[in-house]
Amino acid sequence: MDSPSLRELQQPLLAGVGCVSPIQKPGEPQMGPPFRETAFAESLGGWHFLPSPLPSVSAGLGELGTPDLEDPQRQEQQHFPSLDDKPQFPGASAEFIDKLEFIQPNVISGIPVYRVMDRQGQIINPSEDPHLPQEKVLKLYRSMTLLNTMDRILYESQRQGRISFYMTNYGEEGTHVGSAAALDNTDLVFGQYREAGVLMYRDYPLELFMAQCYGNVSDLGKGRQMPVHYGCRERHFVTISSPLATQIPQAVGAAYAAKRANANRVVICYFGEGAASEGDAHAGFNFAATLECPIIFFCRNNGYAISTPTSEQYRGDGIAARGPGYGILSIRVDGNDVFAVYNATKEARRRAVAENQPFLIEAMTYRIGHHSTSDDSSAYRSVDEVNYWDKQDHPISRLRHYLQSRGWWDDEQEKAWRKQSRKKVMEAFEQAERKPKPSPSLLFSDVYQEMPTQLRKQQEALARHLQTYGEHYPLDHFE
Amino acid sequence: MAALAAAVGGLWRLRAAGAEGQWRRLRGAGLLRGLVQPDSATGFAAQRRHVAHFTFQPDPEPQEYGQTQKMNLFQAITSALDNSLAKDPTAVIFGEDVAFGGVFRCTVGLRDKYGKDRVFNTPLCEQGIVGFGIGIAVTGATAIAEIQFADYIFPAFDQIVNEAAKYRYRSGDLFNCGSLTIRAPWGCVGHGALYHSQSPEAFFAHCPGIKVVVPRSPFQAKGLLLSCIEDKNPCIFFEPKILYRAAVEQVPVEPYNIPLSQAEVIQEGSDVTLVAWGTQVHVIREVASMAQEKLGVSCEVIDLRTILPWDVDTVCKSVIKTGRLLISHEAPLTGGFASEISSTVQEECFLNLEAPISRVCGYDTPFPHIFEPFYIPDKWKCYDALRKMINY
Repeated sequence: MDSPSLRELQQPLLAGVGCVSPIQKPGEPQMGPPFRETAFAESLGGWHFLPSPLPSVSAGLGELGTPDLEDPQRQEQQHFPSLDDKPQFPGASAEFIDKLEFIQPNVISGIPVYRVMDRQGQIINPSEDPHLPQEKVLKLYRSMTLLNTMDRILYESQRQGRISFYMTNYGEEGTHVGSAAALDNTDLVFGQYREAGVLMYRDYPLELFMAQCYGNVSDLGKGRQMPVHYGCRERHFVTISSPLATQIPQAVGAAYAAKRANANRVVICYFGEGAASEGDAHAGFNFAATLECPIIFFCRNNGYAISTPTSEQYRGDGIAARGPGYGILSIRVDGNDVFAVYNATKEARRRAVAENQPFLIEAMTYRIGHHSTSDDSSAYRSVDEVNYWDKQDHPISRLRHYLQSRGWWDDEQEKAWRKQSRKKVMEAFEQAERKPKPSPSLLFSDVYQEMPTQLRKQQEALARHLQTYGEHYPLDHFE
Repeated sequence: MAALAAAVGGLWRLRAAGAEGQWRRLRGAGLLRGLVQPDSATGFAAQRRHVAHFTFQPDPEPQEYGQTQKMNLFQAITSALDNSLAKDPTAVIFGEDVAFGGVFRCTVGLRDKYGKDRVFNTPLCEQGIVGFGIGIAVTGATAIAEIQFADYIFPAFDQIVNEAAKYRYRSGDLFNCGSLTIRAPWGCVGHGALYHSQSPEAFFAHCPGIKVVVPRSPFQAKGLLLSCIEDKNPCIFFEPKILYRAAVEQVPVEPYNIPLSQAEVIQEGSDVTLVAWGTQVHVIREVASMAQEKLGVSCEVIDLRTILPWDVDTVCKSVIKTGRLLISHEAPLTGGFASEISSTVQEECFLNLEAPISRVCGYDTPFPHIFEPFYIPDKWKCYDALRKMINY
């Protein structure tokens, strides 16, 4: 077979790529080109064998001795004087380095926290003030406070045995409304379980929050799930499920579908810093980046996953630092600063939709309440620590100070609003209590779109059973 | 165009398969003779790899669906996918290595035909593949996810069982992922061992909210897969990989549907009911012939087709007639799907039974490599069990 002359093979494939092919002078030992070029030429030229002097063969045999310059026939390992040539690996497009160095993870002074207001609600850099209109800022404030009021009442109602379970949102209200306010109403929301403020901002009625917690006949979820597992099709809020982080790759799929449909929508996916340890989180990040999906990953880093502090959850620089590892643009923000959350979400949304790529926002905040009504957090953290956040760095207080300094709110209005919001919540609460639960036949529907024969038989069996043994069941409370 | 590419691919495969002809086992040879031939040097035989433990039996050419074409199983799958993507502009296919055509060639030509936004590779992550697929389906688009081997479906178990299966129920029908279909190669292949041979249908049979389907042939596969894709519930479609090339029959070119949750009585009989799905249907078909020939016993052969929800009525109706039931599957005996069938049938047909229900299944071991010929519920084990039932 006609083999090319060695000289031909030695020519760089790509002119001007930055490496110089040695020019042979008579009498000089034959030196092969840096082997990778030859390998390139080979693979593209379709040669099926390696002509013997090719350095790629001998270079692979591992000896790092000094090249034998006396032997023109033996190809020596090229000494790279500088790093002009580039690695050609398909897996990474980096530079070469000849110094052995491990990259130090930076956790002491890692990714900085973006904020707009100080802890007293004063704008730090006026150019970062989003200058939201009064109505919108008031809506932010009312949503947070109404949520807070509802949380207090429903938490109490669990304590009194009226509902079976509850999770409060204390301290994290800013992450919910700041982000919700930056989205379009039709942007699809996948949450974890501590994002009720997003629904509140989207005007989900108190009646329906309560209906789900009580599992009463008005519950859109038909009484199937534990409290706080809200969902609302109309408001584009996908029903919450208990398994953590499962929503993350799902949100990515939804974003991909939105992209294909040219919907000009973003998908936002909320999760906690604990859930971010799940494999599903890794899966979601990687898929979003490789498949170029218009999605905002919004991590509420509130310091705890039940009792597990962040020091036991991860060793790197939080969640934001993981984004670049996937090729994702990332930012860390002060989650208790609604404007910082708003600005970051707004910009992420704009670019995610325009550029079809994912964004990662890590909103630093603090979980002031217990994990849930099944938790007593005094078992693993000090009351002082909790009080600090409640008193010194609370999203509601900070926004109130901002409002007051703008003259858009005052103590009178505060008092009136507290009374009014409490009244609204109590009314909804009392109504929800009085309503019956849905018919037990709804135990059996929606497993599939159509009811399978065997399941219908089971439904009929229960109906017959209740005819005989009904007195032992709480039928009075059900429709 | 896709059909041509698939056919060429098929021809290439058939040619490679021809090279295996030399490994054909002697017909009718006894166990030892078939296995080994004496070798003077070692005393042990030059062992030859076995050919399949079954003979694929094609069904007669279907008349009612228009023009047909000779297709093997993977070509029938490609045809179904092709039809789906043509009909449904939201449909997308994704998974590991599907872009170049897939490790079993099921998606050959589809990326070129429909575009890289519709047929694309994902990173190597089954939980991601299924989670991502659920998300697509939640928006109403059609998601066809491929898991490269059923053996690797387990990382996605949480997404399937806790999420996909429960999406509609837990949301009160506000949301669902009914337009999700998961496909995976399934079952023994002669040399697959622990991680390329599994039949995990029993794990999923225990999960209300999903459907689980296993075809026995190219014609069945295309119709059932199309039904799965169009079904408004998340479906898992297991494809017997040993049949990808080995099963060839006439398959309609146009789309058609075979209903889910309907078992098929592929041969009527009066003395024993034999139930299986996938590859094993061909084993029990042969057992039925053996029973007729050697014992004068008339067998009713049922292909279950859908594992969940399964067609209780057809099976019970048959057992009421015959009084004897034998169920066979490659998956291990304990907790295998035969247990569910057996339990239900004895509840519904107790007084009709002439003998205990027989299950001929894989052993309660992981799927072995070199011992596969001993592991699988072959026709001799089925025949022997049948004989015992008749003589009970």
